[in-house]
Amino acid sequence: MGIPALEGHSALETQALRKRKHARERKALFYGLLFTSPAILGFLIFTLGPMIASFYLSLTDYNVFKSNTTFIGFDNYAKLFSGEDDLFYQSLGTTFYFVVLRVPAVIIISFFMALLLNMNVKGRSVFRTIIYLPSIVPAVASSMIWLWLLNPDLGLVNSVLQKLHLPTSNWLFGESSVIPSIVLTSLWGIGGTVIIFLAGLSGIPKQYYEAIDVDGGNWFHKLRHITIPMVTPTIFFNTIMTIIGSFQVFSEAYILTQGGPNNKSLFFVFYLWRTAFRDTEMGYASALAWVLFIIILIFTVIIFKTSKSWVHYEGDKA
Amino acid sequence: MIRTRWKHVSMLLVLLLTTVTVLSACTKSDNGNGNANTAQTNTDSKATSSNNASGNEAADNAGAGATNAGNGDPITLRLTAWGAPDEVAAMKVAIAKYEKAHTNIKVDFQAITADYDTKLTTMVAGNDEPDVAMMESGTIAYPLAEQGKFLNLQDFLDKDGEITPDALVPNITYSAEPGNVIGVAPGPETFALFYNEDVFKDAGLTPPPSDASEAWTWDQFVEVAKKLTIDSKGRNASEEGFDPKNIKQFGVNLPTWWGVYSNFIYSNGGDFLSADGKTLGLNQPEAVEAIQKLADLINVDHVAPSPLQAKNIPGTNVALQTKKVAMAFDGQWASTGLAQSKFNYNVGVLPIMKSPMTTVVCGMFSIFKSSKHPQEAWELLKALIDPEASLDLLTAGTWMPSHKDWYTDADKLAKWTENLPSRPSGYKGAVIDVLLSHSHPTPTAYVKNFNKIMDVINPALDKVWLGKQTAKDALDAVAAKAQEQVQGRRDVG
Repeated sequence: MGIPALEGHSALETQALRKRKHARERKALFYGLLFTSPAILGFLIFTLGPMIASFYLSLTDYNVFKSNTTFIGFDNYAKLFSGEDDLFYQSLGTTFYFVVLRVPAVIIISFFMALLLNMNVKGRSVFRTIIYLPSIVPAVASSMIWLWLLNPDLGLVNSVLQKLHLPTSNWLFGESSVIPSIVLTSLWGIGGTVIIFLAGLSGIPKQYYEAIDVDGGNWFHKLRHITIPMVTPTIFFNTIMTIIGSFQVFSEAYILTQGGPNNKSLFFVFYLWRTAFRDTEMGYASALAWVLFIIILIFTVIIFKTSKSWVHYEGDKA
Repeated sequence: MIRTRWKHVSMLLVLLLTTVTVLSACTKSDNGNGNANTAQTNTDSKATSSNNASGNEAADNAGAGATNAGNGDPITLRLTAWGAPDEVAAMKVAIAKYEKAHTNIKVDFQAITADYDTKLTTMVAGNDEPDVAMMESGTIAYPLAEQGKFLNLQDFLDKDGEITPDALVPNITYSAEPGNVIGVAPGPETFALFYNEDVFKDAGLTPPPSDASEAWTWDQFVEVAKKLTIDSKGRNASEEGFDPKNIKQFGVNLPTWWGVYSNFIYSNGGDFLSADGKTLGLNQPEAVEAIQKLADLINVDHVAPSPLQAKNIPGTNVALQTKKVAMAFDGQWASTGLAQSKFNYNVGVLPIMKSPMTTVVCGMFSIFKSSKHPQEAWELLKALIDPEASLDLLTAGTWMPSHKDWYTDADKLAKWTENLPSRPSGYKGAVIDVLLSHSHPTPTAYVKNFNKIMDVINPALDKVWLGKQTAKDALDAVAAKAQEQVQGRRDVG
């Protein structure tokens, strides 16, 4: 200021600096893209490409074994919704029932698990390991174990209930008990959700709790006014992931029940798989897949929209 | 400087990884032979199949020496199949024999043990079909055949001097329509009544006859089954005070899939479809009666485990050995396990409703039309169904021969039935004679749209086996819906 020569010099310098910075940024972008290219290419080739292909196929009568495929517009979708295919509604209803039962159960139970595991007790890491361990067991193996546990005649669960003079159930083999039973077996693998909750819980600053101690509040006040509001982002994330995972339930039907008894556990994705790989009607199966995609999308959008009113981020003005 | 060098190295690595990722997706569909050897020596494996000698095969030829001159150009045939380890081993024996006789041919054998149909569907979608493939009549074989993907093996059977339709056991060829054979089975499988001899001896009862002409009537069978069903207090099902809730030993094990109940539908004169193929047969009186009688074994007579209880019943061999059941309806393939279990078991003819009958079920070998070497593929198929090559499986009990002379020629019959634990005294009567003179083709071979029909029928039958509905009510309730799926029979012209 005031000394033109100096000002001019500095302007020149900043320009050069900016130029150098620009070049560095470009270089950084180049390397960034280069290093992420496997993931980007993988996404384009193995996810986006097939998705576009499957949408196109859903507009055709593509059958793997037929030599010619014709474009039929939205006929597949019309067939789905017209009620001509009653297994579509049946499997959709079954899947909704499963989601409605499973999502709250997973969120509530894993939240309280995480609360317990977050307490400062001896052997905490051992408990944490035990809770997480079942998540590593392959779905097929744990399904086989549940098949034995829930066996109506010889299974451990019914035997214990019998000893306690409690009513027993047909579990996986009863028309009304099959979905709740599958929900029960799937709770076995909530370790991953618990871990994410734990991470959320450990991020809560201690001074908040100390403030409540000073104000003379009890554990319920802490839970109600600090813990729950502070983990809402985690609840939000876990809810969305659990909903998506629940809509895509497959292996339980494939291994435990094959859709039975009386089609009562014919999940949407299992029906989709059967249509695609047993009946080889790939076009129709693609339409099914897109319907599921739209349903999941709608649910996700709804939760995102409502999240503003109940999810609190630290540092947020609201 | 060092840093930039590292940058270059890592950049190279990333580039390499990327190209590998991208290319691996492309090469897969290109690599028509999927054979590591040929792929290595010959980057364009398509050239291999079009008679272009690769280094590898040229070496093979050279090894075979001059004897191979004029035996044709080198060829690679691709074969896909599934099977238990011992079955795969038997197929390998057959392939080795075949390769020895055809020195210019290499068989690329892919044993696909899991998700066979899914894998094959993918191969077809990628125009990457094998030459010869093992197929299952109940799954994708007919959808493929209807799209004209298979060669008509009738042409080969007509021309072939060794294998004619008459030289094969009945019901082991599959046809898309009369005169269009799409597959030949390596061997038939039939159903019979397996039982524990000691249980009968202890109970002082006469075991099931093995001669079809003396077969038990249904009522005789139920009587015996009742006497062999014992509750936890030692009372049997024909006695006063019998407790059906605490059964220690069941009279008979009754698997509830169509393979088992079809035997009795046929025995009772019923069928899955009417003779002209236009109407559903399962809701007709003969079939309904057969299914009801089977369901009554569970829910009225309490001599067979319910579908729920059956989940506790181990495989036939263990179930019979541990006396959890006294008798079991099962396929002849159960012989292998029974032979290994080492106890006094035997086999009798199935009880009859109206006439003795057994359903023949089996896998088959088919040849894809896209094969560039149909004649060689046919020769390979012949080698695969040659009983001589699969002798180990025949003596172990898993397979039965597909050639009729192995049943009628005393020497050949002795090779796979005499002095073997897998072939007890009742075997010749209950399995072989019944197969030759009282067998019925599997419904999957002639009922069009079988899976879609059964999608409607199976949930209804669930209720019958659970005793919640009578066979008549359950089948009548879904008959109209099942009828919509009826598309006719393949065995009427």
